[in-house]
Amino acid sequence: MTVLGGIGFASPWLLLALLALPVLWLILRAVPPAPIRRRFPGVALLLGLKDDESVSDRTPWWLLLLRMLAVAAVILGLAGPVLNPNRAQEGSGPLLIVLDASWAGATHWSDKMELIESQLTEAGRAGRPVAVLRLTAPEPLQFQAADVWRNRLPGLLPAPWAPTTAQVDQALAQIGAAEGGFDTHWFGDALDYPGRDQLIAALDGRGALSAYQLSGAVLGLAPATFEEGAIQLVAKRSQPGPAREITILAQGRDPGGNPRVLAQATAQFAAGETEAGTALSLPSELRARVTRFEILGQRSAGALALTDDGLRRREVALIAGRDDREGLELLSPLHYLEQALIPTADLLDGALMDILPANPDVIIMADVATLSAGEQEALGEWIEAGGMLLRFAGPRLAASDVSRQDEAPLMPVRLRAGGRSVGGAMSWGEPKALAAFPENSPFHGLRIPSDVTVSAQVMAQPDPTLADRVIAALSDGTPLVTRKMLGQGQVVLFHVTANAEWSTLPLSGLFVEMLERLAVSSAAKAPSAADLDGTTWTPLQVMDGFGVLSDAGTLPGVDGPALAEAPVGPELRPGLYRSGDRRLARNVLSADSALTPAAWPDSVPVAGLTVEAEMPLGGLLLSLSILLLLADVIASLALSGRLGLARPTTAALLALALVLPGAERAAAQDSDAAGDFALAATSELVLAHVLTGDSRVDDIALAGLRGLSDTLYFRTSVEPAVPMGIDLERDELAFFPMLYWPITPAQPTPSAEAYAKLNTYLRSGGMIVFDTRDADIARFGAASPNGRKLQDLAAPLDIPPLEPIPGDHVLTRTFYLLQDFPGRNTSREVWVEAAPPDAEQIEGMPFRNLNDGVTPVVVGGNDWAGAWAVDENGRALLPVGSGFSGERQRELAYRFGVNLVMHVLTGNYKSDQVHVPALLDRLGQ
Amino acid sequence: MKPATALRERAEAEAGRLPALLARADQLAGTVLLGDHGRRRAGLGDDFWQYRPAQMGDSKRMIDHRRSARGDQQFVREREWQIAQSVMLWIDQGASMRFCSEEARLPSKIERARLLGLAVAILLVRGGERVGLTGTTLPPRRGNAQILRLAQSFSVDAPQDYAPPEHRAMIPHARAVFISDFLGDLAEVRLALTKAADRGVRGVVLQVLDPSEEQFPFRGRTIFESVGGTLRHETLKANELRERYLTRLAERRDELMTLCRATGWQFGLHHTGESAQQALLWLYRALDGGTS
Repeated sequence: MTVLGGIGFASPWLLLALLALPVLWLILRAVPPAPIRRRFPGVALLLGLKDDESVSDRTPWWLLLLRMLAVAAVILGLAGPVLNPNRAQEGSGPLLIVLDASWAGATHWSDKMELIESQLTEAGRAGRPVAVLRLTAPEPLQFQAADVWRNRLPGLLPAPWAPTTAQVDQALAQIGAAEGGFDTHWFGDALDYPGRDQLIAALDGRGALSAYQLSGAVLGLAPATFEEGAIQLVAKRSQPGPAREITILAQGRDPGGNPRVLAQATAQFAAGETEAGTALSLPSELRARVTRFEILGQRSAGALALTDDGLRRREVALIAGRDDREGLELLSPLHYLEQALIPTADLLDGALMDILPANPDVIIMADVATLSAGEQEALGEWIEAGGMLLRFAGPRLAASDVSRQDEAPLMPVRLRAGGRSVGGAMSWGEPKALAAFPENSPFHGLRIPSDVTVSAQVMAQPDPTLADRVIAALSDGTPLVTRKMLGQGQVVLFHVTANAEWSTLPLSGLFVEMLERLAVSSAAKAPSAADLDGTTWTPLQVMDGFGVLSDAGTLPGVDGPALAEAPVGPELRPGLYRSGDRRLARNVLSADSALTPAAWPDSVPVAGLTVEAEMPLGGLLLSLSILLLLADVIASLALSGRLGLARPTTAALLALALVLPGAERAAAQDSDAAGDFALAATSELVLAHVLTGDSRVDDIALAGLRGLSDTLYFRTSVEPAVPMGIDLERDELAFFPMLYWPITPAQPTPSAEAYAKLNTYLRSGGMIVFDTRDADIARFGAASPNGRKLQDLAAPLDIPPLEPIPGDHVLTRTFYLLQDFPGRNTSREVWVEAAPPDAEQIEGMPFRNLNDGVTPVVVGGNDWAGAWAVDENGRALLPVGSGFSGERQRELAYRFGVNLVMHVLTGNYKSDQVHVPALLDRLGQ
Repeated sequence: MKPATALRERAEAEAGRLPALLARADQLAGTVLLGDHGRRRAGLGDDFWQYRPAQMGDSKRMIDHRRSARGDQQFVREREWQIAQSVMLWIDQGASMRFCSEEARLPSKIERARLLGLAVAILLVRGGERVGLTGTTLPPRRGNAQILRLAQSFSVDAPQDYAPPEHRAMIPHARAVFISDFLGDLAEVRLALTKAADRGVRGVVLQVLDPSEEQFPFRGRTIFESVGGTLRHETLKANELRERYLTRLAERRDELMTLCRATGWQFGLHHTGESAQQALLWLYRALDGGTS
């Protein structure tokens, strides 16, 4: 394959055909375009006319260029061009592929595997035997056919540690054991580790060595610590580079138990720095849920930091039996406890029964002797559910009868009366020191300072169970700390006080360590080897090189000091370890570990991991030539005027151009219409009725409102404009003080949106006058079709309880004094909002002090609109009653209408007149 | 298919075309208001002309009793003499008339020619004239049935490319209307017109042309073919021919007008891009001017 300018050609000789292009140009120019056939009656006049010159119109240059390009594309495409052609691999003989296979390469593991696979393929083609050596799991070198290794590739996984010294030695031995020379391809993880130089030297001696590694920096995350009220996170990178921002995710389980990202923080690597710190402040509830932190976009064990008790702040409730001595802080039984716990635990204060529902982790009772039966029961339940009760002795406990004869449920042992005092001014012996902690004690391994002495204590009654319950004793064997398991929880008793009265224990660092061991408090910093001396930790979950946690299974336990200090490796896998109630996480990186970039000697060529795939361009070029030829067809047709597209296209475009502004205009007209409606409804007071769809009813309603408007205009200061019909679905209701709603059995039920509008209207002070127009013959039963329809229509409305209009309702006196409300019918049954039940008539007052506001509905059946209806000239449209009494009835109907409108517009103004006598009375004085 | 059914089918198809042409022609004719053209002297006719005293020789039935009863003298009611003219139409049905320029979406020339011919026939029949075709196929007659027959004979295309004017069986002193594009042999036209002039027939020549025939908007290498396919002319540069073509067209029109002047005919020019009504008005005016 010949390579020209980065593009390889399968058959480069074909490119010579490009030389023929200029010739083609000349030929194409000489040949005239195909003639157009035209029907033309005028040909009779043309007969005998000769052309002036025999040269026809030339093909336009751009068409020629198009054709040239098409031909050139064909030639190039047939020459078989390939982008990024694979250079042949040199070398022969056995090939060794060395993998660091540590966590640092896990993020780009798949790239690495692809590259190895392609190399294996080539080695297979060349017939080279291949061996693969993983430095994190060295095995004897087996030179086998490349295909065998290709099948085993998916089994090669990164380990969550860097190659340890032992493994490097092992690998050196394997290399030494192999016979003959071989070439080596080393896939490094860009991190240095001890012994690498020896490996390079050993491999370089056996044949050509080339290295492949990722060029970027390796990212790692140090364990999270909790300082100054926030979680401190430190990310590291192997190479100081330009400024870079990374995102750190806090993963954990939400209250539903589903794993999710609980919080995230960004850390900023300054340019040239290799560490980036950030602080994440989380509520303690949320903090306790975080199980691990990881760097977004990284997929390695090193970019993941498991959390343990160090982040978990326990809730500790402190209860003192004696709090009546104010001001004596150093004597307070809780003072030393508070000092010991404040840095590492959240303290709760309060009465026992108030604290228990908060479910603290630990309750500490300092010198509390007696508890009520209820408290005792609640506390017992809490302990059995996993709580820890820590009791301290004291004068009260010593003086009480608690756990004297029988062991009290909340005491680990029986106590002898009185306790004892040693080494005091009134006693013989020296103050006692502590004995070494026994093997089964949680305190095992703690160093005992010599200055810790006990001068007074309560004494445990010797019992068969006593020996098991002692977890710390004095040098003379008397129990100092006893413990009893109770359900899932425990009760621990310190036989001394929590202050320095009886012993110097609370003054020493041992006190804090003992509290830590009891998991009362948790260490703020990672424990040192000495802290963990004598403990054994069983792995709970371990992670693989990708940082995926899996169950530890039957992995053996680890000694405490080793867990704290030994480097991670096959024996100490990074993961979560547990001892008793305590959990400790061992992460790949520790707080002080640094990421050192790997250095290669100059003699070793180093390549990146990315493989640029070969890309044949022939198909693209041939497709391009076809496209060009298609364009040529269209252009030729267009030139010869046979492209019938032009006219319909222009017509369509024209039509579009005409329609679009039309549509806009239509929309504009719509909004104009709404605006006009709003203007018409609001520039003056307008009475409105609901359109029922029955044109006769609608006409009468409109005519009725017209008559009422005229009456208002003539008689009152209300001057309404021409009334309107309202479509509930379309029109805005808020403009109208009152809606007149005639009921017809056939009218459509409004939509849900319309009902929402109606309810808003009613709540904002609107009034609807329902008129069944049936003289109320059915008294709003279901017997009349209009009544039934009214019930249907009004059901979704927000209507308060109703009552027949009482004689003292404000409607009876808003303008005219009325007692009847006739329309064309004369029923008295008109319903309005019910008076409040507590409305009572005051002696001497004509009216009750009724509800404020306007009744939202008036329901009647008197066909008021019919009585009000007038035509354009003001003549009554419909007859009412007969003769003079009929006219009187019409007059009363008008008066009722006036009262209605006045009621809507003035509200309870007339109702307030009730108070006028009282007001005048006061003013007079 | 039997010949009879095939014929029937063709007839149906033809009949389907007729109403459209008739309707449009009717509509077009409706835009021109007219009446019978009286001869301005007593004769046979429907319209009252004058009363004159009865003379010897007048038969008793001719006496108008309503007028005579007013006095002692007897009167005869005379009517105005009305005479019907014979008008012969020749519409060029040749293939060249079927041309229309596609770009402009105009009606073909033959469509326009038939429309004008039929419309003027309708007007003339309403005016009481006799209308027919030149030649022997359809001699002039009166009445609406003649319109139908005219429409029927208009819907038959002639096979030849450029049809010569029909000049046989011309009725002496009649009127004639020739509608064609006159792109064929002028000798035939000359023969027809001189023969008509010999017989005292006068009339109107209306040349119907497509706009593209007036503009010659062609470019590049082109083969021009007549619509019937009998004539063809190839050119390498069509735009070079334009001037000479237009000159020839103008010459031909001049010749035609000269011929018309010599024989007393009127010459009109109509383009299919213009409105048909304009042409119809001109046509009717030209005919009317000749008759009265």
